[in-house]
Amino acid sequence: MKQKFRKYTIGIISIILLSLTSCNDLDQIPTGQFTDETYWYSTEKASYVLNMAYNQMMGDGYFFANEALSDNIFVCRSSDEKFISSGIANATTGRFAGEWADCYGGIRTCNTFLENVDRVPDMDVTLKARMKAESRFIRASLFFRLATWYGSAPLFEHNLTVAESKAIGRSSHEDMLQFVRAELDSAAKSLPASYIKTDIGRVTSGAAIALKARTYLYENDWTNVVSTCQQIIDSKEYSLFPDYAGLFSIANVHNAEVILNIEYVPTLRTWSQYFDFAPPSAGRRVNQQAPTQELVDNYLTLNGDSIRATSSGYNENDPYVNRDPRLAATVLFDGGIYKIIDIKTAAIKDSIINIKPGSGTVDEYKSGSGNNSLTGYYMKKYYDPSYTGSFNSGLNLILIRYADILLMYAEAKNETDSKLDEVTWNETIRPIRARAGFTTSNALDYKAGWTKEDLRKIIRSERRSELALEGTRIFDIRRWKTAQDVLNGYPHGAKYGSPSVDNGYIRLDKRSFNPNRDYLFAVPQAQKDLDPNLGQNPGY
Amino acid sequence: MNISKITNSKQEHRRWVFSIFVFLLFIGSMNLSAQNRKLTLSMEKVSLRQLFNAIEKQSEYKFLYRDIILDDKKDLSIQVEGKEITYILDQVLPAKELQYKIQGNNINIIRKTTVSVGTPVTVKGTVLDETGEALIGVSIVQKDSPGNGKITDMDGNFSITIPTGAVLAVSYIGYLSENVVVKDGKTLKIKLSEDVKTLDEVVVIGYGTAQRKSVVGAVDQINSKKIEDRPVANLAQALQGVSANLTIQTKSMNPNDNQLNINIRGVSTMNNNDPLIVIDGLVASLGSLNQLNPSDVENISVLKDAGSAAIYGSRSSNGVILVTTKKGKIDTKPVIRMNSLVGIQSPDVLFRPVAGYENAILKDQAAYNTGNTLPYSPEQILDLQKNGAGSQWFLDEILQNALQQNYNVSLSGGSTSSTYMVSAGYVNQRSNFVSGTKPSYGMERYNFRTNLVNQYGKFKLTTIMSYNRSESNSPNANVGNLMVDGSRIPNYYYYKQKAPNGHYLINDVLSQFTPLASLEAAGFNKYDTDYLNGSIAGEFKVFNGLTAKALVGIDLYANHRSSRGLEVAYYSSAEATAPSIMQNIGGSTSDWNQKANTINTQFLLDYDRTFDLHHVSGLLGVSNEAYSSYSNEIWMNYVDSNIGIPTSETALAGNMGGGTTPMGTTLSDIASLFGRAAYSYNDKYYAEVSFRYDGSSKFAKANRWGFFPSVSAGWRISSESFMESYKKNVGDLKFRGSYGVLGNQNIGDYNFLTVYNTYNNTYAFNGTTVSGTGFKLGNPVISWEQSANFNIGFDATFLSDKMYASFDYFNKVTSGILLNPVNPSVLGTAVGMQNSGKMQNRGWELTIGYRAKTGEFSHNVSLNLADSKNEVLVFTGNEVIHSNDDMSQIIRVGTPIASYFGYKTEGYFKSYADIQNSAIPVGLDASQLAPGDVKYIDINHDGVIDPKDRQILGNAFPRYTFGATYDLTWKGFDLNMLIQGVGERTMYLRGELIEPFHANYSYTMYQHQLNFWTPTNTNARWPRLSLSGSTSDQNNYGYSSDVHVLNAAYLRLKNIAIGYTVPKRITSKFGVQKLHVSMNAQNLLTLSPLTFFDPESTEFGNNMGGTGGSGANSGRSYPTLKYVGFGLDLEF
Repeated sequence: MKQKFRKYTIGIISIILLSLTSCNDLDQIPTGQFTDETYWYSTEKASYVLNMAYNQMMGDGYFFANEALSDNIFVCRSSDEKFISSGIANATTGRFAGEWADCYGGIRTCNTFLENVDRVPDMDVTLKARMKAESRFIRASLFFRLATWYGSAPLFEHNLTVAESKAIGRSSHEDMLQFVRAELDSAAKSLPASYIKTDIGRVTSGAAIALKARTYLYENDWTNVVSTCQQIIDSKEYSLFPDYAGLFSIANVHNAEVILNIEYVPTLRTWSQYFDFAPPSAGRRVNQQAPTQELVDNYLTLNGDSIRATSSGYNENDPYVNRDPRLAATVLFDGGIYKIIDIKTAAIKDSIINIKPGSGTVDEYKSGSGNNSLTGYYMKKYYDPSYTGSFNSGLNLILIRYADILLMYAEAKNETDSKLDEVTWNETIRPIRARAGFTTSNALDYKAGWTKEDLRKIIRSERRSELALEGTRIFDIRRWKTAQDVLNGYPHGAKYGSPSVDNGYIRLDKRSFNPNRDYLFAVPQAQKDLDPNLGQNPGY
Repeated sequence: MNISKITNSKQEHRRWVFSIFVFLLFIGSMNLSAQNRKLTLSMEKVSLRQLFNAIEKQSEYKFLYRDIILDDKKDLSIQVEGKEITYILDQVLPAKELQYKIQGNNINIIRKTTVSVGTPVTVKGTVLDETGEALIGVSIVQKDSPGNGKITDMDGNFSITIPTGAVLAVSYIGYLSENVVVKDGKTLKIKLSEDVKTLDEVVVIGYGTAQRKSVVGAVDQINSKKIEDRPVANLAQALQGVSANLTIQTKSMNPNDNQLNINIRGVSTMNNNDPLIVIDGLVASLGSLNQLNPSDVENISVLKDAGSAAIYGSRSSNGVILVTTKKGKIDTKPVIRMNSLVGIQSPDVLFRPVAGYENAILKDQAAYNTGNTLPYSPEQILDLQKNGAGSQWFLDEILQNALQQNYNVSLSGGSTSSTYMVSAGYVNQRSNFVSGTKPSYGMERYNFRTNLVNQYGKFKLTTIMSYNRSESNSPNANVGNLMVDGSRIPNYYYYKQKAPNGHYLINDVLSQFTPLASLEAAGFNKYDTDYLNGSIAGEFKVFNGLTAKALVGIDLYANHRSSRGLEVAYYSSAEATAPSIMQNIGGSTSDWNQKANTINTQFLLDYDRTFDLHHVSGLLGVSNEAYSSYSNEIWMNYVDSNIGIPTSETALAGNMGGGTTPMGTTLSDIASLFGRAAYSYNDKYYAEVSFRYDGSSKFAKANRWGFFPSVSAGWRISSESFMESYKKNVGDLKFRGSYGVLGNQNIGDYNFLTVYNTYNNTYAFNGTTVSGTGFKLGNPVISWEQSANFNIGFDATFLSDKMYASFDYFNKVTSGILLNPVNPSVLGTAVGMQNSGKMQNRGWELTIGYRAKTGEFSHNVSLNLADSKNEVLVFTGNEVIHSNDDMSQIIRVGTPIASYFGYKTEGYFKSYADIQNSAIPVGLDASQLAPGDVKYIDINHDGVIDPKDRQILGNAFPRYTFGATYDLTWKGFDLNMLIQGVGERTMYLRGELIEPFHANYSYTMYQHQLNFWTPTNTNARWPRLSLSGSTSDQNNYGYSSDVHVLNAAYLRLKNIAIGYTVPKRITSKFGVQKLHVSMNAQNLLTLSPLTFFDPESTEFGNNMGGTGGSGANSGRSYPTLKYVGFGLDLEF
């Protein structure tokens, strides 16, 4: 009896204890995150996924790093881009893996949006159609990036399963471009030509057409470049912004020249690359990359001649006077002006920056210094003196602008026709030069004596000067197949070097470009290991 | 007048207490039990052993005897009713040539000796312990006439009349008995040494205790002695080197973030390898371990194998650390103990820059070597040399010696039915970083504890309450930055951090901020933690052998951080009127609060009974553990520069942020049912099974529950009759083995769900930011990691228990390791963890202890040596390579996890011809290389060094770890030493400590880099000098290669203490029972092939970076600290 009583007591106590003890349930869901069951219930939340796709479309890092891959920039510190331009990149180089992963990350976001947006109850049909088109534009732009860098890459229109991701092969370059163009065509139909107010900055039909023009340009498909650019020109949606330097100023974002850009907002969504680009007196951290002498030399003198031309009036000892005004808007050279913020008063004032050795300033060029520019030049385009904190700028970065369309058009016309004619010149190069600040007829007027080859040189040089530091140069020299010429050998800095070497121009670390290999990025080694069907590009 | 009165009354009180004490002991020695219980026995044909067991069962008596003196003949029959123990023993023992002696509840059975017949003399003497302290209350008994006995007085003196030639048995609880033959009336000085009682030691195991001799699992127990006198700020530091295969790596000695890796038996999962921490029966966090006051710890058990750990099931696969805090003792008078340790910690930076002018010469040499213009002219070099005296290394300027103080006071004692232990502790460890005029950096901790045990008949109540508070003030700067910015500036006289007028200066190397200004003026991070730990445990003796226990415990954390970033103005020179750059523009304020609690409830039924030679025990329990954490955070930029409150600028969008409680909430729960059954026969054969059934909220419903069983067995072979002579001549020997399946679920919550996270300011349209959503795919099928754990070992004693040895071999295979799957990037997103990895981890551990006495010296040596080696068995894609900052590591099937990976070298190019004829890295221009540059091995002989030539370069997990302690006492003096180290380990170091003028980032060379290749020094340690960015530099340092790989084996004199106990006859005059003074030193000496950097430093956590890899070690950690200080122990 006593035993029985004890047994019951123990049993009851243990049941009570067990029920009392469960302070938290074994079923737990996060309190600060949504789950698949709770997410797709409003238009607003669906739009957040599309916003993420915009975020993944392109970043400031690649925007400036792409320029660092070209001959416009010398990379002063160790980076993947330096590896690549030194010819020592291999299939394990971080940039190759990063670009691949970032593109597919964005593609997943687009596909997730496209596959789930129909779950949202009571969504406005027109809005849904537009948002789907935006999403498809972004996805197409990412596949285009993959096709451009890697030649061919996996192509798909739905979210892959883990198993699929481990077996998928690469689609051909042509198939990828075909898909991209078809998607852009379809997006162009559903997208408006422009937006009002709160939606400014979303992709437009013009952006879709302009991107499509690029897909032809990179293939040297001149006929289609002409016809596609013609569509944009004829649309009259876009025009050149009158002030070249002002084009890259925060006061003039969303001006009529901008076709597609990356959107930023001061203090809230910013980029801070100039922390590692600006001159010391502007309060930079280090100098990551600096313009080369080769870029500086590309700028014409004010009378429209190349500095090599005897008629140019170029003086090697006073090299920065009487030059294409775009030089001063793009590059900071010795004696140039930079907008320096007074730390105490926050007032912005124009300062003359002295870089020449012996000038005794913090900006002075020092051989072998790691923190100052190794070329004797600093970047200036996109420098935004309205930054907050550590160069946190809210200035938009332009991906495609109207001048680019005009230059593409001019180049394609020169290639398709017998040569660029005066009419087209007057529609393209001339207004671009006039806007840049050239006034002499020698600089502005078409010369009937120019051969097709002369014009090709002029257009290519014009393209370099106009679009320098905007991330396009690397794609130009790759499609022109001139990369092996301009990315081999020593780049140079200003004439601050030993007089016995390269006429006194600073000789910088040697570059190497292997035409049999380096026109394509490597398929990342780790990806190849995970998916044996990917294969590899030649030479890696 | 008053004072003397108090003293007198105190003395009187003491004398009174002492008299009672002596009286009680005297009674004990007169064979009178404290509990005169009457016994009733009715037994037929039993052995003596069975009789003893029967008596033990009926009473509180416990028989102590050496096995060999008992025969196992079943020839006794006894019928008594209500008789005293002495009556029974007097009946049975004489026939067996045995006699007995009763001490309290202990009955010693010894061989009968013949009565001596000599001339009676009066012998006087003193009994002392090993340290020369007088022992009070020692029993002095004529061996053949137990009735003739005395006990020692307060000064350890005795006087006894005894026949010459007779033997005096000198015995004292806790000490080994001594026999002294009386030859004449000379005064005797008898020394007793402490009884280690290896086999009778009570070992804390999961949910209970066991005697050492019956333990069949791999359990190591560390007693308070090994921890108490260590001048450390936390418990984990004190555990380094004291137990085999308990590997503790100090990642940072910074008092503000004491980063430690704790591994028991190496690495067996790619996830968190933290052992399970259990404090006084309650599962706790690693953080709680370090909140404990080391002085409060009674002992620590380390459960290493499945046999001992399976009772903790789902979380025990990385081993279990059981901490038991001190309790008072029944029937002891109040004892007050005070101890204090005060010392200086000095930073031991092992690298130093070369002199300024030397650096300029070396930089010129590097530039010359690679064809660059020389940066320094002879005039500049001369100038640097002339003014060299005025230069100061920045690192010296920001580091200082720091004070460390530990104080503890405790009061403990007990009555017949209750015990108490109350303690308070205080630790204050200052940072070695300078702090200007502000309150200095460092940490303080206050500990309070009350442990009470009350017994009411069959009911026992244990109440534990402890409160700890720690406060930490740390710089608003990253330690790595402070260290590297302090060290990379050359010793040029014109580089200064601060001008005489107080201006903080920048220069062309440090163009953003300097470490001195960051420390002095850039703000602070203040952390404080209130930690409350309490438990109430009730025990009820239901009936003979069965105890019911219930326990409720709570761990309550309140964490808080308050940070300020202060604006600092930097000037280009002392004369400059306007600052040229600002640090922390606008300043910032931030706060973070977290409240976390774990509520643990347990209900246990414990059964333990002996039937004759059979010992049976069992345990059945249920437990629930609920963890809740709530946190919130707020930060503001652009705040008032003085008091940090918001200004109108703060109100602007983007200058404020944080997270609310719903965003900072984690809830989890584990419910468990567990049990154990053990059987042993005659302390010879042991068998044990245990299990645990756990359900965790970290998994989806269908995969939530896991069952974790284990079996273990032991065999004391030395008790077998055929081993009788071994037992007699050598000692005890026991084999044991175990096998079980343990679990691990130490991963984040909600991995089984697809989650969407919304982020602010993801993109913008028309100048207005919009939110974005990212997602991570869930994996609903994940469940526990399971590790199958095999252990085999032996325990042995030698030289009549003076020496003991214990050896274990283990083999663990962990399968279903929860991995963040490495999926192809084309998938486009992360997927929650999946059970996909498999690892094996094998190893062994050996522990040896030895006690000896040579003359006046007592030695106590213990040594542990262990190894573990892991191997990845299954991994997605078979391998993954992580590259960070020129360092690559690989997870490859068939090799240890996270092995260093890269190119092997074969010295330096000898000549230009050598370069022409050798493979060089792809893309490099041979014409840019020169003799003295690194030559890599082209393992596939394809004429080029490319990724296919990479091989495994080493592994950073310590192998052959060892620890040795040596305690020596001589008269009142004592010496303790702890040596600890690692026999095999590689370290990959990158950055300025390896590469001179690293990446145009470092501007100085260090003295250890001077042995570089030159045409006249071809047998050099380092390649020839070259400038950063040059092809040579890229070739020599730009790849993950063995140029960076260092041998990081070491042997370290971790602790040494010399102490002296002032004789009690002096201290007792002041009412002090014990006064011990000591001098302690830590990390005084390190022997290692790696001479310029702390060989203990590691970039890895306890899972070697897991599957995600780890950043490279740049050698920028907080410096190793040397401690020298004094200790004082007082006991009243």
